[in-house]
Amino acid sequence: MRNIIRYHRHSPYLIVGSFFVGIVLFAVLISFFYLPHDPYATGIATKLIAPEFEHPFGCDHEGRDVLSRVILGTRPTVLISLSGILIALVLGLIIGSIAGRVGGLIDNLLMLLSDSIMAFPGILLALVFVAVIGRGMLSIILGLGIVFAPSYARIVRSGIRQLNNREYILLARLIGVKTPRLLVVHLFPGLLPQLLPALVVGIANMALAEAALSYLGQGVQIPLPSLGNMLMEGQSYITSAPWTVIFPSLFLVMYVLGLYFISEGIRIKYGSGGTEK
Amino acid sequence: MNYFLKRTIQLICTLITVSIITFCAFYVIPGDPARVILGPDASDEQMDNLREDLGLNRSFPVRYFRWVSGALTGDLGKSLTFRQPVSELLGQKLPVTLSLAAMALLITMLISFPLGILASGRPGKFLDQLLSVLGNIFFSFPPFVLALLMTLLLGLTLKLFVAGEYISFTESVPGFLASLFFPALAVAVPKIAISQKFLRASILAEKNKEYVRAAKSRGLSDTKAMVLHIIPNSLVPIITVFTIIASEILGGSLVVEMVFNIPGISRLLITAINVRDFPLTQGIVLYLAGMTVIVYFLADILHSLVDPRIRLK
Repeated sequence: MRNIIRYHRHSPYLIVGSFFVGIVLFAVLISFFYLPHDPYATGIATKLIAPEFEHPFGCDHEGRDVLSRVILGTRPTVLISLSGILIALVLGLIIGSIAGRVGGLIDNLLMLLSDSIMAFPGILLALVFVAVIGRGMLSIILGLGIVFAPSYARIVRSGIRQLNNREYILLARLIGVKTPRLLVVHLFPGLLPQLLPALVVGIANMALAEAALSYLGQGVQIPLPSLGNMLMEGQSYITSAPWTVIFPSLFLVMYVLGLYFISEGIRIKYGSGGTEK
Repeated sequence: MNYFLKRTIQLICTLITVSIITFCAFYVIPGDPARVILGPDASDEQMDNLREDLGLNRSFPVRYFRWVSGALTGDLGKSLTFRQPVSELLGQKLPVTLSLAAMALLITMLISFPLGILASGRPGKFLDQLLSVLGNIFFSFPPFVLALLMTLLLGLTLKLFVAGEYISFTESVPGFLASLFFPALAVAVPKIAISQKFLRASILAEKNKEYVRAAKSRGLSDTKAMVLHIIPNSLVPIITVFTIIASEILGGSLVVEMVFNIPGISRLLITAINVRDFPLTQGIVLYLAGMTVIVYFLADILHSLVDPRIRLK
């Protein structure tokens, strides 16, 4: 432990980022074992009460404990962002390696497709997805996965094209290494310096997209709490009970900020310049 | 091949793909639009007649071409719920969203350019470090959370604006612009952070180029070199950054509109999705995506005019 701290001493971004993300992940972890109150229990007596000892984050318009709901609400945000990025990464690796290795017409077509997907501003395509397959966790994960895939496909494709002519790749092909093994063992590790920061930022962007979708009422559905739909519900009471908005925002911002900081830290440490979207 | 010709072909291909994606997405959904319009009590005969009217029983390519040729002439069909042409609804709401996005873009430029120049002045020193940390913090603020916090701090506590108040364009133009200012600021803040960062890097890269040293050795003052050579040249790569920012601003405005209760395209889109009004959703999505593609195209053309070397790549 001491060695780890010493090793990271000079990258405050990594430390602060890991700390923030750690808090949120800790909240997800304890949500499985312990919640201070029942997050669904309503009560007139506790309606919109301000933060106090019994309810440190106050209560919302239905008298539900905000702390318990925030702890539970981190779960969909983290789950969706992590599994969504996994789908985006797998799709990106497949599309990017086909485009990068095969080239020619297929490459052009795949890049045209990814350009077109990237043309849809922000969460618009995710909204379309939800409109088409219906709301629910799975369709958000799938939708966001597809929306985010093209940017990774581009990184993978350009990375593979750069590495293609390196001597070690040519030699590997010369001694008869098959394409799948060539990709997984020899090419993918070489992409990590560019891919890793982009992935961490991707998790953050995905958490944001999920929160925005839920805020618009198209993501995680009430009564299941998520940081996004808590903001939607709390917004009407922002004057009388700002804590219903502040605490979910705080956790969302900690998660996103933490991830951006980690990505920035990785980038500074391993010097793979250029800021991805 | 001529760069402009090549880029135009690319534009057309992308637009076609975008339209196919939009059309397919809504083609595969379960549910019958005729049923949505007529409700559950309609007779089979009524349903068949309506399907015939809407062209629903044609084959996929026929429907696609009808829709696209309609879209080109500004006819996107009728909204199922509002019983109004989609293009009319778009015409009412789109200007509001576009004004918001344009204002956000303007604010981004006005604030980020001076900050970028300031940060690049003495790299690594306190001011630069401070701007970098602040930039990283604000960069990761989701626009709608920022919008909520702004409502709380600036609107309700400091009373700088009335939360949820909106003055329409027809009532008063200054009032309209004023009511868009804070929403635009909420959209702009994360973009200011990223644009400042890129501009700083671009200026620093430009500063060390040989032509700058040559100009200085001929006696050009630092300020003149900065204003005449470094800043104009370092803005060239920023064009690309701003294209991406413009597209993200459009996406960000959608959510922020909801927070500030601005009657733009966002509410229309959410309503359309909620009531499964697919002609309307399709039309909105196609217009927004199409506009983004065209903005990218124009930015590329601008880029190639400013820096002709691009055309050779």
